[in-house]
Amino acid sequence: MKPAPANVPRNGAVSVLGGCVGTLIALILTAQSGIAHAAAVPQSKEENARAWRAIASVPDFWQGTWQSVSPIADDFPTPPEYTPSALEYIKHYKPVEDSPFANCKPLGLPFVMNIGGMPMKFFQSPGMIALYIESSGMTRFIHTDGREHSERPNPTYLGESIAHWDGDTLVVDSTGFAQDTLFQMGKLDKATLAQGDPSPLSGVIFGQHGPNLRLVERMRLVDVNTLELQTTIYDDSVFKRPYSLAPRRYIRGIERRNEPQEWACTDNRDYLDPTTGKLEYNVKDKAQGR
Amino acid sequence: MKHSNSTGKMQLKNLLVVIVALCCGSIAYAHHSFALFDRSKLTTLSGTVREWKWANPHTWLTVVVRKADGTDEEWALVGSSPNMTARWGWNAADIKVGDKVMVDIHPARDGKTIGELHTVFLPGGKVLADPGGQTGEALAGGATNLPTQPQGELYK
Repeated sequence: MKPAPANVPRNGAVSVLGGCVGTLIALILTAQSGIAHAAAVPQSKEENARAWRAIASVPDFWQGTWQSVSPIADDFPTPPEYTPSALEYIKHYKPVEDSPFANCKPLGLPFVMNIGGMPMKFFQSPGMIALYIESSGMTRFIHTDGREHSERPNPTYLGESIAHWDGDTLVVDSTGFAQDTLFQMGKLDKATLAQGDPSPLSGVIFGQHGPNLRLVERMRLVDVNTLELQTTIYDDSVFKRPYSLAPRRYIRGIERRNEPQEWACTDNRDYLDPTTGKLEYNVKDKAQGR
Repeated sequence: MKHSNSTGKMQLKNLLVVIVALCCGSIAYAHHSFALFDRSKLTTLSGTVREWKWANPHTWLTVVVRKADGTDEEWALVGSSPNMTARWGWNAADIKVGDKVMVDIHPARDGKTIGELHTVFLPGGKVLADPGGQTGEALAGGATNLPTQPQGELYK
């Protein structure tokens, strides 16, 4: 039998002797798992200072916030090579008549990066970059400590992200997405659309991504006040080969009004009517959908 | 009458703002309906505030309008998020229940008494422009060129 992990509290043994069955089971389970967790020890002051100095000179994503100046929908100017099942889906696809994201449900990646109106803010610390996305009130945690992806990441709306610097470009690799994150798989041919439709979502094909969805985002400063994000989608159930989206751009705002704000989404009187596919406002009964 | 050149210029400027918003406004309508409201129309409501809800994803202004025939009509008006409007100089405390307001709205296409907020004219003279439909540059840049009076067709 392997030795008990070092981080089991000493009084655990006392409890066992005292007949605490729960602790005994916990001890057995921990010991049998075979994962000897080393006790986590914070870095010394000097080590920590060195770690902060090491990240001090990376490109400046950090001042102020970033406001999207790109259209909401991706354009897919080069027709993607779709899988047969994706082609079948698109053949029968009826475009959304209205915004599919007017209520409080989080969008998740990749589409959350497309939503403008409210800015996003980067933070960094040794081993991690955090990206707060105000329009969803969520924060992406991007590991920069050199780790690999987990073998079986649990599904989440923002996935599991690891990143490294490729020169001045931050390359973020994400996987482990919940199956219902909002996913644009393409755009219908302009010829099939109504003339003069003012909706920025006209012709957008939303659909379900596959279980193996992986995103590689390349983020870099085009100039001191412009951030560019170029995303490549790896999804073998939708695209025969990875699809590279056109770059999106964000501008820096450093004024107080552009500081990040909380996003608590509490008012769900907007909802997409499943029978008509249209957005409705339940203005009489505000409790709708909460 | 005060129909001066400056009013004409102001109207032209506002028309330009509306045109820019319609042409290029695919950024900030993120959460809004794209089909319910007619953005080519601007209607002016004159009424009394019944409810002012400062909440995400949208603000809601409920206004009671007394019609020409003496009956009251309730209008539910959806505005941009508190986060967006705050960046354009709005404060939750600017609007109070009971306030007499003039509101420019984009009306519903189907004739329901709902609308999308465009500009609110408060009794003290303060003007709140909804940032919906503006470009990312305009959102980051803050509110400019506010109208001084309602621009829509008065609803009676």
